[in-house]
Amino acid sequence: MKKGKKSLAITIGITFFILVMIMFMQFKMVFQTDITSIETMREEELQEQLASWKKKYEETEAQSQEITETLNKYKEESSSDSQTKENLEEELNNLNLMLGTTDVQGKGIIITLKETENTEEPIKADELMVIVNYLKDAGAEAISINGQRIINSTYFSYINNSYVRINGQRLTSPFEIKVIGEPDYLKSSLIGNGGYVEKITSWGQEINFEEKKKIEIPKYNDEISTKYMKEK
Amino acid sequence: MSKKVQSLILGLMCFILTIGVFVQVKTVNNNGTTISTNQNEAQLRDQVLKMKEKYENSYDKLQKAQKELEKVRTGVTSNNEELKELEKKIKEANMLLGMTDVKGEGVTITVEDGVATSKTLSKVDLIVHNVDILNIVNELKNSGAEAIEVNNQRIVGTTSIVCDGNVITVNGEKISSPFTITAIGMPELMTTLDRAGGYLELLREDNLKATLTKSKKINIQKYTGIMAFKYAKTIS
Repeated sequence: MKKGKKSLAITIGITFFILVMIMFMQFKMVFQTDITSIETMREEELQEQLASWKKKYEETEAQSQEITETLNKYKEESSSDSQTKENLEEELNNLNLMLGTTDVQGKGIIITLKETENTEEPIKADELMVIVNYLKDAGAEAISINGQRIINSTYFSYINNSYVRINGQRLTSPFEIKVIGEPDYLKSSLIGNGGYVEKITSWGQEINFEEKKKIEIPKYNDEISTKYMKEK
Repeated sequence: MSKKVQSLILGLMCFILTIGVFVQVKTVNNNGTTISTNQNEAQLRDQVLKMKEKYENSYDKLQKAQKELEKVRTGVTSNNEELKELEKKIKEANMLLGMTDVKGEGVTITVEDGVATSKTLSKVDLIVHNVDILNIVNELKNSGAEAIEVNNQRIVGTTSIVCDGNVITVNGEKISSPFTITAIGMPELMTTLDRAGGYLELLREDNLKATLTKSKKINIQKYTGIMAFKYAKTIS
């Protein structure tokens, strides 16, 4: 019986040894197959590209269709000047909407950004510029800061180390940033892990988001003039 | 060795083995999807190419439609001064939006990643970041630029310049160093970027390459993306 016990222990020992060896071999294999995750990444990238081309294609098709409709309107009603005028005004209004020279409304978010007693870093022009850049990336269609409409030619400057200037106007904290667009996209462009909001709060500033079904954003108040640029 | 100790060791070994097996099962599960990847990939690549071609055809069609619209618009407004005025405004608005190719005098700025030297502390410092481009564009607007382009991407109202891994995305298109930024406007005003204490000097102090040249004739391409608003409506 004593001898049997010993051989049993040895058998169990060997079995364990073999099992552990197999496990290690497997671990190694699994580790190696990890390299194929690059392959997966490549697939993900391809998926991304496919989605991006598809989106571009669909947008282009939709635009083509819209232009064809406008074309047909001009062709059909060319006999009546008042109809033509209406069509021209509709086209112009759509362009002005995108230029920022009309008052607009739509769903979106209102961001309040302000300095507090704990603020170590004041809110400067480049911070607002970066926020606006994130919002545009998330598909913002209209943005205003303290009532100043952000258009393509708008720039941000920080004057005398004391205040922000936008569209020639002096702006100070608190800042109210109104944005029209898809609220979830807009918010997630700033909030989230490693998002810009983390930096903002680390500087001791306060930022709040409010989702709205209807936001009104005023038009750009000046004339947009050009002098050097000519159509080719 | 007492029986108690023996069974304790056995139990412990069993426990470790079981954990090991579980960990493995989990890792293998995570990896399982990669096996079919290679076949999918070729198919996907094919789909991407086809979709790209579809887009390109569609874009050609759009450009033709736009040209025709312009022609028809000129036609229907030619006999009426009031309508002619509206047509002129439409053309102007399109130019301001960045929807037309434009030319004029201006400047060309080039910015390039720096080269590591023995003094360099970190390679990250030698890379042109999206914020650098963003700042240059902002400074150019501050100096009265009327049209700006970064590596052939026209800067329009909806343009964002974001960091996407080790490349920069402008209008959703990937671009990388060297960066060429061209702007139309008064050259004398825009050269302020290159003055002592100007933004380009700051970049050079950070060991990046940055130059500015004035030019009598600059060509800037139109925006090739689609600008169409979905949420914002004009208040009438």
